[in-house]
Amino acid sequence: MAQVVLRDLVKTYGPIYAVDHVSIEIDDGEFVALVGPSGCGKTTTLNLVAGLIPLSGGDIYIGDRLVNDLDPKDRDIAMVFQNYALYPNKTVFKNLAFPLQMRRLPRADIEAKVLAAAKVLDITHLLERRPRELSGGQQQRVALGRALVRDPRAFLMDEPLSNLDAKLRVQMRSEIKRFHQDLRATVIYVTHDQLEAVTMADKMAVMSGGVLQQYDSPAEVFAHPKNTFVAGFVGSPAMSLIPLEAGTDAGAATLRSPDGWSLPLSPENARRVARATTAKVILGARHSTLKVHKSAVPGAVAGKVYTVEPTGDITFAQVYLGGHIVIVSLEPQVPIVPDEPVWVEFDQDKLHLFDGETQQALPRN
Amino acid sequence: MSAIADTPAAARPRRRKPIDGWRWAGRGFLVLMLLYTAVPMIWMLLTSIKSGFAAMQFPPQWWPSEPTLASYQKLLDPQNSVGQDFLRFFWNSLFVSSVTTVLSVAVAVPAAYAFSRFHFPGRRFLFFSVLLRNMFPAVIFLVPLFILMRFLGLVNTHGSLILTYMTFGLPLAIWLLKGFYDNIPIQLEQAARIDGATRFRAFLVIVMPLSMPGIIATAIYSFIGAWNEYIYAYTFLTRNDQLTLPVGIQRFFSENTTDFPGLMAASFMMSVPVVVLFLVLQRYFVRALTEGAVKH
Repeated sequence: MAQVVLRDLVKTYGPIYAVDHVSIEIDDGEFVALVGPSGCGKTTTLNLVAGLIPLSGGDIYIGDRLVNDLDPKDRDIAMVFQNYALYPNKTVFKNLAFPLQMRRLPRADIEAKVLAAAKVLDITHLLERRPRELSGGQQQRVALGRALVRDPRAFLMDEPLSNLDAKLRVQMRSEIKRFHQDLRATVIYVTHDQLEAVTMADKMAVMSGGVLQQYDSPAEVFAHPKNTFVAGFVGSPAMSLIPLEAGTDAGAATLRSPDGWSLPLSPENARRVARATTAKVILGARHSTLKVHKSAVPGAVAGKVYTVEPTGDITFAQVYLGGHIVIVSLEPQVPIVPDEPVWVEFDQDKLHLFDGETQQALPRN
Repeated sequence: MSAIADTPAAARPRRRKPIDGWRWAGRGFLVLMLLYTAVPMIWMLLTSIKSGFAAMQFPPQWWPSEPTLASYQKLLDPQNSVGQDFLRFFWNSLFVSSVTTVLSVAVAVPAAYAFSRFHFPGRRFLFFSVLLRNMFPAVIFLVPLFILMRFLGLVNTHGSLILTYMTFGLPLAIWLLKGFYDNIPIQLEQAARIDGATRFRAFLVIVMPLSMPGIIATAIYSFIGAWNEYIYAYTFLTRNDQLTLPVGIQRFFSENTTDFPGLMAASFMMSVPVVVLFLVLQRYFVRALTEGAVKH
């Protein structure tokens, strides 16, 4: 296992920057998730690390080797593909043996290693089958096995769970996490599912438009998103983001909505808002920090329930504050119906504030 | 089908009239097509075992009254001048068609792979210019190619035919094979390359076996094209010992008499390699045609 360093990675297709100066340092044994919406450049970044597409700029180090110009086969990595990419004309055994054969291991070693990997993944009974005779979940295990059978410097995984059904996905998620913990393997894991990234990764690299938006631990990304993109992308349901205007109301700093309602700010938040480049400020609040009242409370904003989504443990509701929707959560036993008037109270200590022009977070302190 | 028909729900549509009408029309059409293709073959076979006199009778003898294998004996007897010629033509045809097939596949496979996988300047233009040849009837190129072959000193050699057949066969072969490579997920090669194979080895070990149906289809297509070709063989070759079968069979026509049983026996023998090829490789061929056409 080894450290992987991406320095200023660039991949262009004509005038388009698919990967735009991305720098990420991954420590030995760390599990890093590259996460972002479709087309954000995460898979391209992974393919650059694998050497499947040529770099337009920047450096990639795996261990202490600069691998920019090395063939994939010489980078000593293993990869799991979204569509598994099992060799359809080979049995499971031969699929697992292939990477070892390519490295000219003695036959006895190959057999021992394949059997060991098969045992770990519980696919020993499938070794003589061909990929088309396997279920999706079994294929996924074989794909994982083909990566595990060697001892590569890093594992690259490209949305390995996205073709599985929901239940199996959760199960495999914990298995992959477990295997990472057991092997202390360096893993780069691409996913569009922020929940996967948050639950599995030591660190997550949130990407959008080819640009790295934030690279931090999931807890840090969740607690302190650096900009409105990260704030809206990480967390489910998404953080409510409301564009407002900073102003004063009888000498006290407030955020005003064009719809007429306003939110008084605590002194600390007033200082943060004062740092914005213009009066435009975007207010962010997660459902867990919003309190819903059935009657008017000082400081709470009046709104109207739009939809109610019970999930069992927790009930989500979309509430219109003027023209903007915020998502709030309630205990399931609290009765709430659409079109009901409610008052939403913001937790001043947990408000996210973003500069309306630059979309960057307005820092605390 | 049978599993569905067993359920009572599926029994209902069976009674619907329009569907049955179409089904019978379809069967009728198939029978017509079968007659269209089989009757000439059967007539050829029947005539080949008649005597020369019986073959010319009118009204025709539908079933030979005295079947004989004399024509076949004559054709396959190297001592006899007819047999000597026939066997030489057969060998010539086999040689030209086989070499054409091998070379076509050898060129088409890498070309199709490149068109499918690599993005290089002029890729689209090249691909369509490859197909341009197929937009003209082959005869148009007869004179220019003859001049070209004379310039190259290839007239009266089998090389001239092999080159020509490749020119005509390759465009479709490349097009056909490209479809196959397009349908092989690129991740398979990527996986192989990460697993330790070079690009070439990944192609050889992973992609080639998967494209075997396509390669076989391409090979059959090239072989049949070369095997049946007449006009170029007739133009480029003049020496008797070099003729291929389609041209050579003409020898059974002469000014005064035509040896119809001999002609039919030779024609039947000529169809044997193609039929054998088809029977052996048919499974792949059928699979190949659907696999190349459907995008998964």
